[in-house]
Amino acid sequence: MTQNEMSNESTDPTPTADTATSSPDPSGEPLVEQSIDVEGTGEPTGSTGKPVIEARDLDVFYGDVQALQGIEMEIPEKQVTAMIGPSGCGKSTFLRCINRMNDLIDAASVDGDLHFEGKNVYDDDVDPVALRRRIGMVFQHPNPFPKSIYDNVAYGLRIQDQTDNMDQKVETALKRAALWDEVKDQLDKSALDLSGGQQQRLCIARAIAVDPDVILMDEPASALDPIATSKIEDLIEELAEEFTVVIVTHNMQQAARISDKTAVFLTGGELVEFDDTNKIFENPENQRVEDYITGKFG
Amino acid sequence: MATSKPQGQWHGEDSEVNHLRGRAFEATCLAATAFGLVSVLILLLYVAKDAFRPFTADAGWHVTYLVTVLVPLAALAVYYYRLDDPAGEVAYVTSGLPIVGLLVTGGFVVVFSELLTVLEWFALVISIAVAVGVIVAHGRLRPNAALERLLVVLGAPVVTILGTPPAAFNRLFNDITGALGLGIELNYQVISLRQAITMLPFAPTDWVMLLLTLVVPVATGAGWFVGRRRESRRDGVAVVGLTTVAAVLGLVAGPAIGVGVEGWLLLVTFTALPVGVYVEGVVRRDEGTAGLAFPVVAVLGALVGSVIVGALGFAGPETWLDWGFLTSAHSRTATDAGIYPAMVGSVMMIIVIVLSTFPVGVGAAVYLEEYAPSSGWLGKFVTLIEINIGNLAGVPSVVYGLLALALFIRIIEWPQGSVIVGGLAVGLLILPIVIISSQEAIRSVPDSFRQASYGMGATRWQTIRQVVLPEALPGILTGTILALGRAIGETAPLLLIGAAASVRLAPNSFFDSFSAMPRQIFSWSSELEPAFRHGVLAAGVITLLAVLLVMNATAIVIRNRYQRQG
Repeated sequence: MTQNEMSNESTDPTPTADTATSSPDPSGEPLVEQSIDVEGTGEPTGSTGKPVIEARDLDVFYGDVQALQGIEMEIPEKQVTAMIGPSGCGKSTFLRCINRMNDLIDAASVDGDLHFEGKNVYDDDVDPVALRRRIGMVFQHPNPFPKSIYDNVAYGLRIQDQTDNMDQKVETALKRAALWDEVKDQLDKSALDLSGGQQQRLCIARAIAVDPDVILMDEPASALDPIATSKIEDLIEELAEEFTVVIVTHNMQQAARISDKTAVFLTGGELVEFDDTNKIFENPENQRVEDYITGKFG
Repeated sequence: MATSKPQGQWHGEDSEVNHLRGRAFEATCLAATAFGLVSVLILLLYVAKDAFRPFTADAGWHVTYLVTVLVPLAALAVYYYRLDDPAGEVAYVTSGLPIVGLLVTGGFVVVFSELLTVLEWFALVISIAVAVGVIVAHGRLRPNAALERLLVVLGAPVVTILGTPPAAFNRLFNDITGALGLGIELNYQVISLRQAITMLPFAPTDWVMLLLTLVVPVATGAGWFVGRRRESRRDGVAVVGLTTVAAVLGLVAGPAIGVGVEGWLLLVTFTALPVGVYVEGVVRRDEGTAGLAFPVVAVLGALVGSVIVGALGFAGPETWLDWGFLTSAHSRTATDAGIYPAMVGSVMMIIVIVLSTFPVGVGAAVYLEEYAPSSGWLGKFVTLIEINIGNLAGVPSVVYGLLALALFIRIIEWPQGSVIVGGLAVGLLILPIVIISSQEAIRSVPDSFRQASYGMGATRWQTIRQVVLPEALPGILTGTILALGRAIGETAPLLLIGAAASVRLAPNSFFDSFSAMPRQIFSWSSELEPAFRHGVLAAGVITLLAVLLVMNATAIVIRNRYQRQG
């Protein structure tokens, strides 16, 4: 009897994991516009969304150290754009420029233009707080607040005064983040009691609850185990139907699996190559990129 | 190659490494620590001996209480320690909670007998509730009218609570503007809701007002807490209902046990309610239930002991520290002398200190940690300020007394030796400590929380208010309570601002002259009669230490709870 139980338990996780990861689109939100897109095919070579973020000759300095030089990049709408490269190459810095999180570092200074929906985010009349309400962010280490699960997801809604229909919005966000089934009975529990992977999906739910246009992800799966990682990857592919996703990753397979476009940064803060993901991984133009991807250099 | 290697075995006598210096260092450190602790302990024992005079009691008295109280408690303690660890904590809390509860109850009794009448309290609570209600309702109804909201937020408290400022406030404002040469006289006449209520020709009886404005709100808070922790609304409502019923029982029970209806209400609210909630939680979790026996055994043992002592006619010790000492004023005869007015003075001083220091200290800490620039010219200035706050924490307390003397008595011309001057003097003294400990607490909030909040598009204020402060609050409270512990024992500033050596009557307002416990102790030390210098002084020291111990224990409990959650 115990053996039976044991075997039951040991076989159990796989199917649940499966159902959880490949759960059909849970949103049910009437977010019309273009909805038939990337999902499943992973071969969006032809599809070119209009650029939502454009960098023009962007330089970033930390004190006297130049972290990015002359970045030119157009990030298309409602696709997954991955940024890969060795440590210290500036890909996270670029990500944090997009929603001006670098403003929080006193020593950082930015030159050049970075347009979001046609407006330079470094113009004087841009309030970084308002900008961040349009561009959500998910961090490398899951960082839920030490509050209940519900309060975590509701945080953005509360600070942005979108408090009508809050229960509904929280539920929708948790469903979109494929977390609802696991937490629906314990919304009052502290978010810190969740596992690492659940915490990261909670952070994603928190970011999408306020319905931003863009979601920035800074190595969102690097602190997670393989099963949690694959759930996050599936989630990202689904999110790209409604949001523009920009993801920094160290994991080249991950970039190849989930992204439509890939940018390769190399040491010194240069953007060496930026193209469709298939092109980058199958036939890169730049020799250094090929060396990096095949592991000769890194 | 290996020619210089020592020959012989790597183990055994000839290969032993020399540990002598390390051992000597270890022993010296231990001896120094032990010397400090032991000498303080001996002093305290000596003082306690003077205060309680245990050797004046019959041997039979000692034996009786040893057998009925100490031996059973020691046995229980050993049992908890060896066999049932969670029960030890339960025993600790169930014994401590009633003591803290009784102290809080006593504090409220003092407040109602010395500072304000029940009617004034009632009016204050009602008008605060109305003010908050108006502000909240306005925010709901017209969320976008910013200017109007400012008017409401500023105006509502004036109309409901402040009204015509109390004479003291008017005087304070005029004194300050007068001293600064501004020539503005504050003299407006508005009768607030609070004042209107106190002037009503009819009023509910005292116990009804207390029930409505103290028992029910506190019980509702406890009910909300229980209901939330238990995820059951019914349990929360049950807490409120039971507390109210228990309070109303006081109509009969209060006079019967001789504390009066009001005393019963305060006991139910601040002692019975917290103890009840805690005990119920222990029983429901069924973890360490054995610990509940500890206070029961202590009380039963004391009762049995007193019966035996009474029956056999053993004489107890002629202790200096007794109920009479705690409830009477200083007197020329040592046996009649007490510490009550000084205790009230200390409590009122603590109120001034908390109200003046906590907001300023926490505000300064928030500014320095969250807002202040860290680079450039301004950053250097901020660093300079931080260094000087550290220096201020080391300035001798006499100097703060001098500052208060010059600033509050000479310039603002507040009455010499009044509670407010004493409180502000000591408040200034502990302000740097409060700032530094609050800074530590704020700094220990992980940066990832701030990043997450900013990343969600929160403003700096929202981040501080919703994420940083809630997380830092336990640390801030711990630091502040420890600083208050230091404040309550300060004597030198009180000498300089002219606090009375001893007062017959407890102060009735914050502008009355007062004496505080350490000041009273100091004046007893210079009495000619030896009974004062040995007995009464010792009893005063023990009282002060007991208050300090309770404050430190509260700080420790808050900190432990915080660490368990984190």
